[in-house]
Amino acid sequence: MNIVEKESIEVIAQSIGVGNLSPDVLPSLAADIEYRISEIMQEAVKCMRHAKRTAMTSDDVDSALELRKMEPIYVASGDSLRFKRAARHKDLFYVEDKDVEFREVIAAALPKAPPDTAVVNHWLAIEGVQPAIPENASLEALLTPFDNKKPDYKEDGVSIDIKTPVKHVLSIELQLYFEKITDLTVSRSNSIIFNKALLSLATDVGLHPLVPYFIYFVAEEVTRNLNNFQLLFALMRLVRSLLQNPFLHIEPYLHQLMPSVMTCLVAKSLGNKLTDNHWELRNFTANLVASICRRFGNGYHNLQLRVTRTLLHAFLDPAKAFPQHYGAIKGITALGSSVVRLLLLPNLDPYLHFLEPEMQLENQKNESRRHEAWQVHGALMCAAGLCIYNQLKMIPNLFSPPTHAIWKSNGNDLTINPNKRKAGINNLMMEQTLKKTATGDGSVGGQHLVKVEVPGASSGFSITRGASDVGVHPLPRFLPNDTIPGSSGRRDKFGSVAQTSSSVAVARAWKKEINAGHLLPKLYDLFGESMLPFVLSPELCNIFI
Amino acid sequence: MEEEVLDKAVFMYLKKKGFTQTEQIFQQEQQSKNKNSSSSINATDVSLSDPDLAKQILTFSQSESIPALYHDGYSKLRSWTYSSLDLYKHELLRVLYPVFIHCFMDLIAKGHLQEARTFFNSFREDHEMMHSRDLTKLEGVLSPSHLEEMEFAHSLRQSKVNIKICQYSYELLLQYLHKTQSITMLGIINEHINFQVSPGQPSSISDDAEAFSLVGSGQDAANLINQKEIHWGLLEDSLEERLDKAGGLLSDSEKTEGDAKEGDLDENKKKSTEGGKQGGPLKKLKKDKVAGAAGKGARGEGEKASAAPRVKPELTLPTIPTDVEHSILEDLRNRVQLSNSTLPSVSFYTFINTHNGLNCSSISHDGSLVAGGFSDSSLKVWDMAKLGRMGSSMLQGENDSAPNENTLGSNGGKRSYTLYQGHSGPVYSASFSPLGDFLLSSSSDSTIRLWSTKFNANIVCYKGHNYPVWDVQFSPFGHYFASASHDRTVRIWSMDRIQPLRILAGHLSDVDCVQWHMNCNYIATGSSDKTVRLWDVQSGECIRIFIGHRSMILSLAMSPDGRYMASGDEDGTIMMWDVSNGRCVTPLVGHTSCVWSLAFSCEGSLLASGSADSTVKLWDVNTSAKMPKSEETRSGNTNRLRSLKTLPTKSTPVYALRFSRRNLLFAAGALSTNV
Repeated sequence: MNIVEKESIEVIAQSIGVGNLSPDVLPSLAADIEYRISEIMQEAVKCMRHAKRTAMTSDDVDSALELRKMEPIYVASGDSLRFKRAARHKDLFYVEDKDVEFREVIAAALPKAPPDTAVVNHWLAIEGVQPAIPENASLEALLTPFDNKKPDYKEDGVSIDIKTPVKHVLSIELQLYFEKITDLTVSRSNSIIFNKALLSLATDVGLHPLVPYFIYFVAEEVTRNLNNFQLLFALMRLVRSLLQNPFLHIEPYLHQLMPSVMTCLVAKSLGNKLTDNHWELRNFTANLVASICRRFGNGYHNLQLRVTRTLLHAFLDPAKAFPQHYGAIKGITALGSSVVRLLLLPNLDPYLHFLEPEMQLENQKNESRRHEAWQVHGALMCAAGLCIYNQLKMIPNLFSPPTHAIWKSNGNDLTINPNKRKAGINNLMMEQTLKKTATGDGSVGGQHLVKVEVPGASSGFSITRGASDVGVHPLPRFLPNDTIPGSSGRRDKFGSVAQTSSSVAVARAWKKEINAGHLLPKLYDLFGESMLPFVLSPELCNIFI
Repeated sequence: MEEEVLDKAVFMYLKKKGFTQTEQIFQQEQQSKNKNSSSSINATDVSLSDPDLAKQILTFSQSESIPALYHDGYSKLRSWTYSSLDLYKHELLRVLYPVFIHCFMDLIAKGHLQEARTFFNSFREDHEMMHSRDLTKLEGVLSPSHLEEMEFAHSLRQSKVNIKICQYSYELLLQYLHKTQSITMLGIINEHINFQVSPGQPSSISDDAEAFSLVGSGQDAANLINQKEIHWGLLEDSLEERLDKAGGLLSDSEKTEGDAKEGDLDENKKKSTEGGKQGGPLKKLKKDKVAGAAGKGARGEGEKASAAPRVKPELTLPTIPTDVEHSILEDLRNRVQLSNSTLPSVSFYTFINTHNGLNCSSISHDGSLVAGGFSDSSLKVWDMAKLGRMGSSMLQGENDSAPNENTLGSNGGKRSYTLYQGHSGPVYSASFSPLGDFLLSSSSDSTIRLWSTKFNANIVCYKGHNYPVWDVQFSPFGHYFASASHDRTVRIWSMDRIQPLRILAGHLSDVDCVQWHMNCNYIATGSSDKTVRLWDVQSGECIRIFIGHRSMILSLAMSPDGRYMASGDEDGTIMMWDVSNGRCVTPLVGHTSCVWSLAFSCEGSLLASGSADSTVKLWDVNTSAKMPKSEETRSGNTNRLRSLKTLPTKSTPVYALRFSRRNLLFAAGALSTNV
């Protein structure tokens, strides 16, 4: 019943050396002590209230003792003291008091100084409406108080319409989040946790205030770290995650974002090591650009215009390096076949003339440059192929027979084709890496390898061709080795297209399609024999897209 | 049989009182009586002839021997009350609490400590809701000497409780007490309760707060004090008034307001406001507008509210420089009219990394300066205008990862604030002068210090209080200020003297908060004795006592028209008072924890309250103030208070509120991690 038992008084008396305390005194002493304690606690409550707190600390008790002109106890304040309930005792509490090794304390590094007090400002409400900024309590918090409320006191203005203010100050939580993400991007982009972070960026609500900071971060890092391939790739992945997040409103910041993204697509050099696969980065970025254009193209009317202009510029400038050309081509390809048709195809002929010498061993001694040229060539093929494929897709009766043809072909062909398809599905890159290794080990050049692979390929070739009753077209000299096995019924269809004049049915079909009818013969005229390689790739492109 | 019992009782009584000889004689007589029982018929007859007397002897013996009689008596009374008719129940319930605490104190006083404890604990739940704070106080009382020592208990013992009760309830109660012969209860009720029996129907439940209160001085004294005259009107020839007269720039609604001024009917009016006779320009920050867009409607009902009477200042007020006057006039012209449909914008200053050390906060009248008083004796002032510029440049320019505070913190140790050091104890309050050039702070070291925000230095240290100074407030015109302390006094000072001009004594416990009336002639104080008092600055007399709060008062605000006052307490209740008659207009219920801060909007249409429950609430003052005049309070449950909006913060208790002259609301609070 009593808080202070008379037994405890006895113990305390003994501990301070009063041994002869008469037992009659004990109860009244206990009662008095209890009264004094409660008195002091009431004073402490006052001190607590004036310190504008709702939880009492040991400081309050000290202040209360001072109010009574008594010596304070000087207990350590703060959260360091936690009273624990003693086991098996209902009302017995104790403070855990660990022994601390002096040496350890002295040897230990100084603890970090606590951050200094600061004041931050935000709008709690604008004309009575709370803006949805992270500094304000979330919507759930807004709603819950109304639930527990008595119906009498229902507020009139329960409507929670939200406005976004122009200016804001970041909450601590968001700052931490931002720091964490940027840190991960810069230093640990290979880790699993970075993937988690990207997922969080792509899905979390309430990151909106950070968007400008992220955009700025990306821009800054891209310009500063053009030779850091890892970082660039991480940054682009970060951008993609931001774009994926349905709760973010990126459009106002696009003008800041685009330059950095475009840089990663058409910059002269990305990364400084040979091992850095900047082609992959360019491909990734190309798709990113395309997705941006698709998503914001409608609202942001000159976005696509500016993007394509930049890309075309990069493409048409012969002074620019091949990687830049490659990036531009990839970018245009990703934007869709119509863009390819309008921008790329008209310039294809002159460009190929420019490219051709670079790809040949005789003219270009620098191996890496030749490799680059091959890459560009591959990209061009992919682009044109995609374009043509899309055109062909519009003519269904031309589309179906070839696939049939594949299935009708012999086992040899069948084994080859699915593999290639799968490769295509996974990534277009596959094709290129294959190509690269091919060129890499066969140091003599691509032409040798052509010979190595041709037999298998040509067998599939002839069969499909036979099935469709179309004459064999001679392979161009510099045909890249790996595109041949990728060929399928589609290609020989094109073979027939190539011979427009001879194939009546196809010609009729072309006439139905005005666009295609105009374009494809022209295309063929333009490229002549080099057309065939482009014909090969649409299958791949198709699958990829 | 009865006789035997009676004999036994008498026997016990004698034994207890130590009348051994009488006891022996009594025993002998009894034995002899038993021997010849046949002859005792007469005696029995005698005893039977007076059964009442016998009964009384019996009860007497019981009450003397068993302290549990209190327990039984009270529990019977309690169950009777709870089972009584609903109509009278709430009136009768009021009787229970005083009976309860006096039973407890009686038991203590008679030395039955354990029994008192048991009694207290078995019935305390009944009163926990209404009187939890008193109960915790009383709980500690464990010996008769404590009763004497403890002021609260002492005052309870000395004074009588007033209970309003209707005729019928009163009779019911008396009848019950007589019928059950519960002398103890009757005694307590007789001794400590003063019934104000009113004829007619029982009063409504809602009047509870007024009907019953336990204050040392008692309701009577308060009523007497509240009879005194008060001139709650505003000062004549204020800036706002002049602005009204200048006319041209003002909206129509404000002009009609000016016209309505002459319709003043209040008997307290001292002077009408025709013509500014006062020579020196007087600075007047806030005005008697109940108006704004919604003001017209309000005026239709009560003319008193719309046009406040004008009074002369009793203090010599400082003059203000003309350029400041112009800027104030400019602010007044640009003031946003707030009403229940047009709510203010709220700018929130969040203190971060305070490590639980922030005790108070204050915002200057233009919101540009924010002061924080800390438990480590320091006072820190942030210039938000400067910070804002830095912040915005940060946002536009280099959108770097580091936001304001980090940059400022790491910028070669450059602080974002000005540190004022001088106090030697926790700083409990800070107040900016109206022009923002001075800052006052009060501390637990019992001093008040005046700081210049221009020179960033301590100018004066005012010593006078003997105990921690809880609150200090500049007058609306500057120069004068008032302080409230744990030593139960309020002191009024002027900046140029180190001795107080007035010492206002009368509160029965700590004075926790202080606020100036708009016309500078009065000061309101809120105390831990649960009352709010209004003092005349000139005479130093208490002229109003506002009784109704159930816990300590933490915040006060005066309406700009000078007629109403709001006070917030520890439980989260806000009460709106009519200064003219000392009555509670309406309680505003909604907060769930301490109300740290209150502020009226400049035209008086809205009241903002900031609380430890991390919300800012906006209340419609016009409706809540109108009600009593239209007698709607009598009808009871019409939604008397109107909470317009609750603005929750992110775990940031709201420490300070301030409406700027343009009616932008500033709020400040410390982000707390463990709320």
